[in-house]
Amino acid sequence: MAFTNKPQVFNAKINPITFGANGHEVTLGGSNVYPLYSFDAPIPNAPKVGIQISDKGFDATLPELAKFYEGCNTVVEMAKRAASAEGVDFVCLRLESADPNGDNASVEDCAALAKAVAEAIDKPLAVIGSKNVEKDSTLLGKVAEALNGYNPLLLSCKEENYKAIAASAIMAFGAKVAGESAVDINLAKQLNVLVKQMGVAAGNTVMNVGTAAAGYGFEYVASTMDRVKGAAMTQNDVDLQLPIVTPLGDEAWSVKETLLEESENPAWGAREERGIQMEICTASACLASGSDAVILKHPASVKTISAFVAALM
Amino acid sequence: MALKGLDIFKLSPKTNCKECGCPTCMAFCMKVAQGALPLEKCPHFSAEAIATLSEATAPAMKTLELGEYKLGGETVLYRHDKTFVSHTLYGVYLCDCMDDVDARIEKINKVDYDRIGERMHVETVTVAHNPDKAAEDFLALVEKVKGLGHPVIVEVCCADLAAKALEILKGVPTILNAANAENYEAMNKVATEAGALLGVTGADLNELSETIAKIEALGNKKLVLDVGTASMKDAFANAVQIRRSALLETFRTFGYPTIVNAAKLAMGDSHMQMALLALFTARYGSIVTVEEMDYAKALPVYGLRQNLFTDPQKPMKVEPGIYPLNGADENAVCVTTVDFALTYFTVSGELERSGVPMNLLISDAGGYSVLTAWAAGKLSAGSIAKFIAEFDIENKIKNRTLIIPGKVAILKGELESKLPGWTIVIAPNEAVELVKFFKDNKF
Amino acid sequence: MAKFVTIGERIHCISPVIRKAMDERDPAPILKRAKEQIDAGATYLDVNIGPAESDGEERMKWAVQLLQDNFDNVPLALDTSNKKAIAAGVEVYNRTKGKPIVNSADAGDRISYINVAADCDAIVIALCSKAGVPAGVDERMGYLMEMLELGMGLGMEPDDMWFDPLVVVAKGMQDQLGDVLEALRQFSEQGFKSTGGLSNVSNGMPKTLRPIMDSAFIAMCMQAGMTSAIINPCDQRMMETIKSCDIVKNNVLYADSYLDL
Repeated sequence: MAFTNKPQVFNAKINPITFGANGHEVTLGGSNVYPLYSFDAPIPNAPKVGIQISDKGFDATLPELAKFYEGCNTVVEMAKRAASAEGVDFVCLRLESADPNGDNASVEDCAALAKAVAEAIDKPLAVIGSKNVEKDSTLLGKVAEALNGYNPLLLSCKEENYKAIAASAIMAFGAKVAGESAVDINLAKQLNVLVKQMGVAAGNTVMNVGTAAAGYGFEYVASTMDRVKGAAMTQNDVDLQLPIVTPLGDEAWSVKETLLEESENPAWGAREERGIQMEICTASACLASGSDAVILKHPASVKTISAFVAALM
Repeated sequence: MALKGLDIFKLSPKTNCKECGCPTCMAFCMKVAQGALPLEKCPHFSAEAIATLSEATAPAMKTLELGEYKLGGETVLYRHDKTFVSHTLYGVYLCDCMDDVDARIEKINKVDYDRIGERMHVETVTVAHNPDKAAEDFLALVEKVKGLGHPVIVEVCCADLAAKALEILKGVPTILNAANAENYEAMNKVATEAGALLGVTGADLNELSETIAKIEALGNKKLVLDVGTASMKDAFANAVQIRRSALLETFRTFGYPTIVNAAKLAMGDSHMQMALLALFTARYGSIVTVEEMDYAKALPVYGLRQNLFTDPQKPMKVEPGIYPLNGADENAVCVTTVDFALTYFTVSGELERSGVPMNLLISDAGGYSVLTAWAAGKLSAGSIAKFIAEFDIENKIKNRTLIIPGKVAILKGELESKLPGWTIVIAPNEAVELVKFFKDNKF
Repeated sequence: MAKFVTIGERIHCISPVIRKAMDERDPAPILKRAKEQIDAGATYLDVNIGPAESDGEERMKWAVQLLQDNFDNVPLALDTSNKKAIAAGVEVYNRTKGKPIVNSADAGDRISYINVAADCDAIVIALCSKAGVPAGVDERMGYLMEMLELGMGLGMEPDDMWFDPLVVVAKGMQDQLGDVLEALRQFSEQGFKSTGGLSNVSNGMPKTLRPIMDSAFIAMCMQAGMTSAIINPCDQRMMETIKSCDIVKNNVLYADSYLDL
């Protein structure tokens, strides 16, 4: 019996959503095949790769990273350097200092910084808030206001604060927002429904379904994404046809395998290389299961994942 | 796998001769599918159709043995549909054309460690022959590789040399990854005689399926399919199409495990080989080969593999016991949580980040998360007290403070009465709050 | 498994309002009923223009275009005994949201509606009956095979034939409801799609009881493997039951708001 290929092309597709402005835009989604299955049908928008910087600086103990950001004295300078890294599609600013349990920087200062970054770079901008639900409910609205006209992607609104963030960031200032659910597929869908029920039109939101570093419960991440894409395609479930954005740098760099100093276990080798490979491994597995964009921290991982995606398209 | 009436009807003579007693062939096939009539009632089914039908109930993908490892036998495309069964094997690629091949051999057994009860190390070694190199040097390399103690994948272009290599590898589980449309007869003979699995490759999937069919006709069904090294995109397309046609369409010609040579797909690029390791672990590579398996690659990818190949019905568990963290001794404070691997990893990771020496006590909680274990009665004051008695904690550890998960704060009172002399402290609800908790509180 | 397909039955010329609107080509009453059904969650709308012997073709074209233009190419089931009218309706039908359904063929006088569906690449509802109520499960299976053979002979995909086991009325034929469920079970076991006029089960029952009986029956039909039904989508209890069964059967991913979707 001869082989006959049966492409899995669906009568359903992931909503394309575009963020960025002024000639620096990226579009996520738009595909009607399973993730990376470009051999079934052309994928109109290849998955995108973002580079994450923190308003608290970079880890100067990593030699390659320190070399990359050498001479950067401000967050804006870091952002410009990050935007120039090979393979970068967009820059992601994490407002780590906004954390009320940390530096508790004011929302005004954070918004002003986000604006300065957006003005300085020639790439679309994504912003991750403080990750504190209360703080983010005002912070992300203010950031959206400051970035009015830059069409940024803001991460993330959650079940606890989606109302405030959708009303301010999306409806008042036209930002794109990610709905975050921690590896809970039913909540992921529900959050999309709730935001839609507020009157937010499709094409304004993406999903951040959560992630884990490879080895740390990644089976839940893979199955969540596999099921989201499965329902979006085979059941034409419109409430799951949103692009998935996965910031994974923080997870990849905060497990034992990437935190332990080389001096404590010389056989493992340099910490920086372990971190890069952990980012690459996790990103590749996320892309296989359905991330339409991944956000990484190290320029070396960004370069490889970007080339990896290009080779598969 | 039960057959539907239509599947049988497709193979039926479609003559409506009524000899079976049914008014039409369709009616007869429905009855057969329902088990109401045996297929033999129809005298006109061709032998080929009967063979196809009887084979249709066999597994869609074969399970092959490679020494202590199993390849294939998968029944689903996604782990949530049931479970994956045979985890991807990782290997190192060697070629007699490499100048530093001895140094590479040296490194192969450097990675060897245990993660949640599973030994993590290189599982296969590929030896490839470049026709420009001397045959005897290649055979000397095979000899060296034999000594590493892993199954070997041999890649050579001529059958004579293959036979010599396999002769050296007698007793070692081997794949002769060398058959193609031109040489399959000779290579099949060598592999069959040596008891090796035969790797098959093709210019495209049509050629591959034709070659497989010819080898199967020679009686060999111990095959492994090479997805090729033309490009990353082709290799991925082939791996997916082979697996899904086998499982979705029951295309038995492709119902075999696969080999992915990530080393050749991204020669010299260790980072890209990492990306390929992860991709083909998630999507349908049975064996994935890289140039070097160092800790930087092994730590993430063996963890990923362990995650993806767990049975969704059976959570990963860590062994109950005392886990001293941050150089803890008998005077360090005690912390307890459940044996669910994900909880253990998350909690122990945060505890290690705090830098505070402590003894993490893991009791048998059925592999559930904290609240689920509590609700199921697997994590209770009684179970913790029993663990402390059984593991003789009071003699092994002098410290008498026990920190319990915030989500089971309710156990505090009962624990204090069951464990006289102990101070019970309640930790935060979430693991991410632990570092701050240990910064703010001293024990 | 795919989501259960509902076919809204409320545009039917048996209703005086609809009949008058069809006769006068008055869009308003028809659009109102269409909107009610779509808002309530109907997948397909049935369009019954009556026998329409004289002006069927023009009438069906008018109805198809009216509904599809106003409701984003909503997929339709074309329901009339005038075969030419069905062909005419398909001519102007937009397929982006789904193939048209021919409602309906049976194994007797109306078997040629299968030819109509095959000719215009439509789905056909195939009623497993020849004349009157089939006696038992085997007779239903027999008709199914007759119609299936004809359809496949004409090049139809089995998935485009939706078999109707003929739902019988509880008040009077209660003893045969088990046959309907068993027939659905056997259809499903063999991989066939199915549908049926669901509310027939509660025909003649007091109005207050009908939604209760209909909901219980549809749940049992779905458990037996039914894949579609012709129903009144404005019956809230029925729609809630179908959505809940779709969750139980893992046809739709659960979210707290599943009833609103």
